[in-house]
Amino acid sequence: MKFVAEFRDAELGRALAGEIGALVEPGRSYKLMEVCGGHTHSIYRYALESLLPDQVELVHGPGCPVCVLPMGRVDDGIAIARRPEVIFACFGDMLRIPGSHGSLLDAKAEGADVRMVYSPLDALELARRNPDREVVFFAIGFETTAPSTALTLRRCRAEQIANFSCVCNHVTIVPPLRALLESPALELDGFIGPGHVSTVVGARPFQFVPADYRKPLVISGFEPLDVLQSIHMLLAQLADGRCEVENQYARVVPWEGNARALEVMAEVFELRPHFEWRGLGFISNSGLRLSDAYAELDAERRFDTPGIRVADPKACQCGEVLKGAIKPWECKVFGTACTPERPIGTCMVSPEGACAAYYTYGRHAGAAARGAGEVRREVIA
Amino acid sequence: MRRAPGLGRPGGRGVRGASAHGTTHAAQPCQTCGDLAEPMRVLGVDQEVGLALCLAEDGRELTVDTALLGEVLAGESLLVHAGAALARIGGERP
Repeated sequence: MKFVAEFRDAELGRALAGEIGALVEPGRSYKLMEVCGGHTHSIYRYALESLLPDQVELVHGPGCPVCVLPMGRVDDGIAIARRPEVIFACFGDMLRIPGSHGSLLDAKAEGADVRMVYSPLDALELARRNPDREVVFFAIGFETTAPSTALTLRRCRAEQIANFSCVCNHVTIVPPLRALLESPALELDGFIGPGHVSTVVGARPFQFVPADYRKPLVISGFEPLDVLQSIHMLLAQLADGRCEVENQYARVVPWEGNARALEVMAEVFELRPHFEWRGLGFISNSGLRLSDAYAELDAERRFDTPGIRVADPKACQCGEVLKGAIKPWECKVFGTACTPERPIGTCMVSPEGACAAYYTYGRHAGAAARGAGEVRREVIA
Repeated sequence: MRRAPGLGRPGGRGVRGASAHGTTHAAQPCQTCGDLAEPMRVLGVDQEVGLALCLAEDGRELTVDTALLGEVLAGESLLVHAGAALARIGGERP
């Protein structure tokens, strides 16, 4: 398909990796964080780390919304799902996220009517087809997904569908990015910025990164050549002593974002004063809830939920992984007690989670490389 | 306009990366939750209701809400996420 195949060209990838190597200054190391789980997935899937010089380290950030969802929110969803009148609709990744007493998949096995949907529109269709049931959509995601939820709720209201509501777990990307930058323990040289979030919000919201923290940020696409080119652009900025927001993903991301999407989000959502992030704690103005104008579609107002904060399992180090403080394989339970089949932590559930991505693609090559003390040069695509 | 088979039928055609037990497999991109949208080509458009039938890279057809882009045309490449078209790709229009 156009705009896909040409960004997976192995020869160009190798050439680009060579140019990245030429930009590396002897004796200097570079620590770059990819904010998005989507980038993490691409980096492991195409073994991009193996193409990079040893001095360039990629740190995986908190940009997987499934991975940052705290257990208490999962419990709230399960409590609603167990109600006999409810059809509970959610994305596939949510099904296996552990709550304090099992997952939505466990609740489904015990009789709850939990269904996987591809989009909020699918959940609304369930409501149309089941007028005698309450259909509740468990909304999750960054600004990439929030417009789809907003459009669906607007359609729901226009069509006066009374048996549809939404548990809103949408989050925004800038507050956790700022929280990370405020963390004294994390020393980063630059950011691979979120590509698809930026199709909605544009590049402007990220200008605080160079302005306030003197770190370069390059908004990046998700194909292997996109990620490599973004790394090259970051290293070029560092070599030149520049510090800017650049847009590698200009074929998709307009500098100003999508005005229609921002408009519908502003109509349907409002900021929560605080929202809890797994591993990062409570972050002000980082979560969205339904605005007063859409209050009748808010499942948290329609149904009772426990609303209890639950501590993460002690063995799980998802918090450290999400902050980039440790690598997935450095977690005590990685690959042993915690696997994609039986996850303890959220990072092992979603394919965008750093642990699941590393478990699927990188663990054997990574272990071999670490054991041999050298980085393997592999072929992408 | 032809609607995509499986739309509104959870577990039906159009659900990316779904395995038999209804979860995404780690080898597949994240289904919808994160920052991973996908390019699709527009096959047909119902401008009145703001929906388009789109073709994904792997041959799946999906009905997509196009309200965020205004009028779209058959043959355009769109970035689609969670059933909504977020952006035109490449800026070219047929």
